[in-house]
Amino acid sequence: MGFSMHIGRRQFLAGAATLAVAGSIGRAAAQQVTLSAPWMGWPEEQVAPLMAAFEKATGIRISAERLPITELFRTLEVRLQARNELPDVYLVDGPLTASYAARGHLLALNDMLADSMDGFLPTTITQGTFDDKLFAMPLGTSSQLMFYNKKLFADAGIELPSAKPEERLTWEELLPIAQKLTKAETSQFGFAFENTNPYQLLPLPQSKGVEVIGPDGLTASGYVDGEGMVAAMTWYQELFQTHKVGPVGTFQTGVTQEMFGSGKLAMMIGGTWNLLGFKKFETLDFGVAPHPYFANAKAVTPTGSWHIGINPRTAHMEQAQAFVRWLSTREAMDLWFDLRQYPPSLETIWDERAQTTFVDPAWEIVRHELANTATPRPRTPAYREYEDFLRTAMQDIQTGADVQVTLTRAAQSIDREMRKYR
Amino acid sequence: MISSRWTPFLFLAPALAGLLIFRLAPIAVAVGGSFAGVSLMGDLSFVGGENFEYLFTDPQFWSSLKITLWFNLLINPLQLGIAFGLAVLVFRPLPGLWLYRTLLVLPMAVSTGISAVLFGLFLDANLGPLNGFLEWVGIGAQPFHRSEDQALFTLIGIATWKGAGYWMLFMLAGLYSIPATVYEAATIDGASAWQRFRYVTLPLMRKPMAFVLVADTAINFLFFAPVYILTSGGPGGATSLLMFEAYRSAFTFSDIGRSLAISTILLGIILVIVVLEFRLLRTPEERA
Repeated sequence: MGFSMHIGRRQFLAGAATLAVAGSIGRAAAQQVTLSAPWMGWPEEQVAPLMAAFEKATGIRISAERLPITELFRTLEVRLQARNELPDVYLVDGPLTASYAARGHLLALNDMLADSMDGFLPTTITQGTFDDKLFAMPLGTSSQLMFYNKKLFADAGIELPSAKPEERLTWEELLPIAQKLTKAETSQFGFAFENTNPYQLLPLPQSKGVEVIGPDGLTASGYVDGEGMVAAMTWYQELFQTHKVGPVGTFQTGVTQEMFGSGKLAMMIGGTWNLLGFKKFETLDFGVAPHPYFANAKAVTPTGSWHIGINPRTAHMEQAQAFVRWLSTREAMDLWFDLRQYPPSLETIWDERAQTTFVDPAWEIVRHELANTATPRPRTPAYREYEDFLRTAMQDIQTGADVQVTLTRAAQSIDREMRKYR
Repeated sequence: MISSRWTPFLFLAPALAGLLIFRLAPIAVAVGGSFAGVSLMGDLSFVGGENFEYLFTDPQFWSSLKITLWFNLLINPLQLGIAFGLAVLVFRPLPGLWLYRTLLVLPMAVSTGISAVLFGLFLDANLGPLNGFLEWVGIGAQPFHRSEDQALFTLIGIATWKGAGYWMLFMLAGLYSIPATVYEAATIDGASAWQRFRYVTLPLMRKPMAFVLVADTAINFLFFAPVYILTSGGPGGATSLLMFEAYRSAFTFSDIGRSLAISTILLGIILVIVVLEFRLLRTPEERA
C-alpha cells in the first residue's frame, strides 16, 4: 500500500495559506519602482531606447505614455489638477514652465542640479526658470530649417535656394517659387509649414517687429488682434486661400511630413528632427535652406523645446530625482541627441560633435539661428490659454475664416482666461 | 416566513445606493462646486454667484448656448424620425432582413472616439474617400467639418450614423408590441395604409417614442467626443457646444468654477426640455 494523503478541510486551508505566504514573498521581491511619465507621441524608436538606457543604469523602470501633443497637454492638466502623486515626472513644454510652476505643479531643481547648471546653454535655462528658480530642466532647444525637394526644383528648372544665412530667401521671393511648384492636377503643393500653431507661425508677425502679447504678459487685446498681427495672418491666409500653394486643413504634423517625403510638397519649414525622420523616405533627395523672412525686416526663427519636470507630490521622489539627474549627464544627452536631434542644451555635446555631426550645412544654419535669430515664445503664466486660443484661430484662418474677426475673438477669450493670473 | 415592513426597502437599497453614489452625489458636487472659486494653488473658496455672473456676461457662453440649442433642435427630431423610419422598413418580413438589421445596428459597436477619428479621415479635404467620390460624380469636394457652414451638420450626420441603429431597436420593439388584431380591426373598418399608420401605429408608439426622444435628448445635450476629436469647437466657434466649453474650462483653463457652472446650467436646460417632451408625448389616459 502506497502513501496516500487525505485532503480534508484542514489540509486544504493549510495548503492555501502556504501558497498565499509564498506568493506574497515572491511578489515583494519582484516589486520594482516604475515611474509614470506622460511623454510626447514621438515614434517608439525615439523614446524607448532612452527609457531602456535609464533602466539599465539604475534598475528603475519608466512607464512612458506616448501621447499626441494636444492630448499630452490636456492629459497633464487633468492629472495635475487632481493634485495627487501621479505623474511622477513629465515633459514640460518650455513656455509652460511658468504656468505649471505658478500653480505648484513643479519641484524646484536648483539644489539637485547645482553642479551641472553651468554646463547648459543660458537661453535654455532661462526658458525653464520661473521666479528665479529652475523648475524644469531643458532637454534641448529647437530650430527650424526650410527643407526643399531637389528633384521637384530640378524638374521645374528653378535654382536651388542657398544654404547660407546671408543669402536667406525673403517671403516675397518664396511665393513665386512656390507657385511654380504647385501643380493642382497631380496634387503637388509648393509650400507648407510643418505645424499650424503659435510656435511655428509667430515668427511671421515677429519678423515685422510686431508685439504679440502685452508687456506684462497678461494682455492680449490690441496685440493678438492688432494691425500687425492681422496683416501677418492675412498674408499667411493668402498662401492657402488665394495663391493656393499649400494644402488646406492638414493639421497633423505626420501628414505634412508624409507629403514632403513622398514628393507631394516641394518646400517645408520644419524642425531639425526631420533630418532623421526623412531618412525613411528612400527616394527623397532634399536640401536645406534658412527660414525665410520679410524683405527689409528682421529674420526670426522659432526656438525652445521640451524640458523635464518633477511632480512635487510624487511618491517616488528619490527615483524621480535620479531620472532627472541622469538626464542631465553627458551620456543621456548624447543618446537623446542621437534619437531625435534637437539642438543640444548641454555645451559639451556641441563641442564634442563640432567636427563630426555639426559640420553639416544644416547644423551650420542652426548654429547661426540659435545665435542670431531665435526668438522664444511669449513669457507668461497664461501661456497655455494663450496658445490654445491662438492655435485654433490660426487653424481657422488657414481654412478661410475672416482674419480680424477670428483674431479679435481669440484675443477676447485669452483676456477672459488671463484674469485669474492678474 | 420572515417578512417585515422594511423588506421592500431592503430590496431596493442596492439600486438606490447606486443612484445616490453615481448620480445624485456628483450632481450635488457639481451644483455646489459651481458656487466655488479655485485659486492658482488649488484652494477652494465660496464665491457665490460670481461664476454665473461671469458666464452671463460672456458672449462666448451665449454663442455656445445658441449653438447647443440649435444643434439639439435639429438632431433630436431627426434621429427620432430616422429611427422610426428604419424600424418601419425592417419590420415586415423580407428575404435577407437579418442582414439589413445587422448592418443598421453595426455602427453601435464602434466607439464614439474611434468613429470620430475614422470620419476625420473619411471626410478629409485632400485625402478623404468621400470627397474623392464627390469629385468623381461632379459635385466637387466639400470642406465638411473644416467649414463654418457645414461643420455642425457634419457632426449631426456623424452622430446620426452612429445612433440611428441603436434607437431603431427600441422603435422596433415598440412596433412588435402592437397586437396584430388592432391592425386587422382597422382594416376591417376600411382604414387605408396611411390611416392605419396615423390612427393605430402612432398613438400606440407614444411610449417608445417618448423613451427614445427623452433618452436621445439627454445624450445629445451632452454631445462631446466628436467635437473634442474633430473640431475643437471650431471652425470659428461654429461647433462650440456647451459640454465642450465645460470640458475646456476645466482642463485647458483650470477654471473649475466656470466649468461646473456650465454643467449646472446644462442640467437645468435638459430637465426643462425633458419635462416638455414628456408632456408632449403623454398618452390620453395620462392626460386625465
